[in-house]
Amino acid sequence: MAFQFKRQLFGFMDLIRFKKLVPNRRRHLDAASDAPLPKTYRVNETAAILHPGNQKATVISIKTETADTKTYTLQLSRKMFFRAGQYVEISANVNGSVVNRPYAISSSPLQALNQSVLSVTVKKAGFFSNWLFDNAKVGDQLIVGDPSGNFHYEGIKDAETVVALAGGSGITPFYSMAQALKEGSESFRLILLYGAKTRKDLIFKAELDALVSDRFKVVYVLSDEKAEGYESGFITKELIAKYAPAKYTCMLCGSQAMYSFADKELAALGVTGKWVKHEANCVGTRDVKPQQFNLTVHIRDQKYVIKADATETLLVAMERAGLSVPSKCRAGGCGFCHSKLVGGKFSIAGQDKRRLADAKFGYIHPCCSYPDSDLELIVPAGLE
Amino acid sequence: MKQYDAVVIGAGNGGLVAAIRLLQGGAKTLLVEKHNLPGGFATSFKRGRFEFEASLHELNDFGTKDNSGDVRDLFDSLGVTDKIEWLQIPEAYRVFSREEKIDATMPFGKQAFIDKMEHYVPGSRPSMEKFFELAEEIRAAQAYSNSVNGKTDKNIMLSKYANFVRCGSYSVNEVLDSLKMPKKAKDILNAYWCYLGAHCDDLSFIHYASMVIRYITRGAAMPKMRSHEISLAMVERIRELGGDVWFNTEAVKIFTGDDYGVEGVLLSNGEHIETRHVIANCAPHIVYGKMIDKVPVQVIKETNARKLAGRGFTMFLGLNKSADELGIENHNYFLYDTMDTAKQYEIMKKIDTNCVQATVCLNRAYPECSPEGTCMMYFTTLYMSDDWGNVKPEDYFRVKDKVANMMIDRFEQDTGAKIRDAIEEISVATPMTYARYCGHPEGGIYGYESQYWDGLTPRLLMMAEDHKTRGLRFAGGFSMRLSGYSSAYFSGDITARQTIGDIKREG
Repeated sequence: MAFQFKRQLFGFMDLIRFKKLVPNRRRHLDAASDAPLPKTYRVNETAAILHPGNQKATVISIKTETADTKTYTLQLSRKMFFRAGQYVEISANVNGSVVNRPYAISSSPLQALNQSVLSVTVKKAGFFSNWLFDNAKVGDQLIVGDPSGNFHYEGIKDAETVVALAGGSGITPFYSMAQALKEGSESFRLILLYGAKTRKDLIFKAELDALVSDRFKVVYVLSDEKAEGYESGFITKELIAKYAPAKYTCMLCGSQAMYSFADKELAALGVTGKWVKHEANCVGTRDVKPQQFNLTVHIRDQKYVIKADATETLLVAMERAGLSVPSKCRAGGCGFCHSKLVGGKFSIAGQDKRRLADAKFGYIHPCCSYPDSDLELIVPAGLE
Repeated sequence: MKQYDAVVIGAGNGGLVAAIRLLQGGAKTLLVEKHNLPGGFATSFKRGRFEFEASLHELNDFGTKDNSGDVRDLFDSLGVTDKIEWLQIPEAYRVFSREEKIDATMPFGKQAFIDKMEHYVPGSRPSMEKFFELAEEIRAAQAYSNSVNGKTDKNIMLSKYANFVRCGSYSVNEVLDSLKMPKKAKDILNAYWCYLGAHCDDLSFIHYASMVIRYITRGAAMPKMRSHEISLAMVERIRELGGDVWFNTEAVKIFTGDDYGVEGVLLSNGEHIETRHVIANCAPHIVYGKMIDKVPVQVIKETNARKLAGRGFTMFLGLNKSADELGIENHNYFLYDTMDTAKQYEIMKKIDTNCVQATVCLNRAYPECSPEGTCMMYFTTLYMSDDWGNVKPEDYFRVKDKVANMMIDRFEQDTGAKIRDAIEEISVATPMTYARYCGHPEGGIYGYESQYWDGLTPRLLMMAEDHKTRGLRFAGGFSMRLSGYSSAYFSGDITARQTIGDIKREG
């Protein structure tokens, strides 16, 4: 030993101190309170408002907005707070199966926090929205999930002004933002270019007009109609340049066709990369010849063999078979449906948004994957 | 009713290792995880064209094939090392401290580290050599202790590891002062303290030295596909060994009998699992506070006695320029106000004052981790009080942005890099995020604090008597090995081996 460590004048004192470590700890453990352990903690309580998890909600009003859109207002069982622009997943029991879909929230964050009230605006399209549209009535009970998604203002990286391009029912998140600006739960400048076919197709026109302020401005753009006080045609680069300031972040919510068109217009204006944000759309059907495959699904210790069609995602196949499986964004991005592929071939709709290690270890997102052969999956449990 | 020899609650780092070890020991094992992913904090997430590491800065004590650390040896015996692609971290750290005007970049390798310290602090060499000598002995003593499962022979300890025993009751600063280490060398050497979350007047020297020596002599490693790669590799291994892993399945209750011992587990789907052994990869505060109906008074007291350690805050940035373009020179930064760690600890109690950060630019270890012409960073701090509990929900998003801005400003001011305008993606995790994700009280990410009386050594010495509930053992950051990746992995290993022993004894 090159040197002997010594702290106290006599080395044996150091040894005695070492011996006291255990009795000292025993004493501390013994001296503590015998009061019951806390059931909850303040941070965890706030977390439960920001991320309340699935909760029951009652439909308290239904308003017809246009021929094919309705707003459903829900009384939540718990408080919720979110960023204007986020979506929630709505689930319901349809003919014995739990079915769900994400919807952008169309009400304000403070309303959810202070009154536990939340609205979603539904366009009659797709299986679940059609069901809601035709069946849901005041007093019905639905399940509402966590507020999710990153389609909201991000003060640290976004410009002070957001130019929003909304197509049709893509207005919903921006209507929530306009309310949030008014109530003060968000602070930025919003210039909304809202495209629809005709005046009749505009949702929330009166409400939006009433929210106009020095922070919020709205311009209506009609593609199939000319009218005074409205822009007409499509949302072109000229139109954007007419209303946008020198520096802005562009947020888009609408159809894939609208994104393809608008992205080119924005690129021509030099607005690309971090300055452009799109809300993701749910993955739909695939345009191939229908073909049935066998899909074997393991959920916990249960095994199911069901049919899956080449035209539909694996998630839809499982929902059709009445299996309760997790889903949230239905666009391949959130990873909530993350499932292990035991075997079989599949194709991904659009970009592969999985994590690197998911691809390596054979995990897929059923919400954006179509079967190309018989398949076997291990899937986490959905709503109980 | 389904029966298992053992149920592991929580697929965090400790739970994953515990499940593998239980299966290797022949136990029929069920691992339940309330989330849809394994790993707890050991995961990754995507934003745009970036895949962010959720928590791992660098895996300590892994080493290389030729200079393997204890974690690599553990992974080898678990059968997971080769399922993961590893890369080495280039240098130990760069530390800035405002009060002492320190800007020091330290290398891996004992000799290189001592030489560099001598360069920064002439005359520090003798004390640094003594430090490493002591640290080597500590590591050897710990290896001996592990080899005899903690049942050490007093005579062997006193003859072969006398320095371990002599310095074993002192804090970091007490020992470094005894070694007559110059103040500036102490300041630079203490940079890692925030990884353990207790200040150097309170933190056990043994604990700190055993961490530092592992970092410096074996280097640090990282899985290429972020820690998600480790977590998925472990799940694959569990399934290979015939174990069951159920995601989106929360254990809501542990049933106990007249002896307070484990009799079963109730799951969130209403299913009752019969088992006599549970390894809980979660906080005793939660297990004894919510999951068990009848808890002995002594156990309540011992749980109340513990101090919740640092609550986490992490900002993740995806930048649309390369590290070179932005002037980010290093992989791993520590930015402090002061190297008076007790004073710094106080500053870290409040949201308004805390700018301390451990910041990583992953591209400096792995240039291809993000698309060409971009880089990724993550900034982590700890709060040493429950100040986030004072944040009202309606103020939450504003406070979150305020802290993120403070951290960006601090990084730019101290390092001279300019990053703000290049932010393409940002994501921020607060104590609320951690509370929601893992259920930890107050959003803590460091388990129970390594206070002087509750440090690593007395915990290990009392491992047997801390086990009070038949059939219930703990793994992860809240268990005896304290927090951090390697500690959590080891806790899973020890606790599962003990459980296998329990099962065998029951026959």
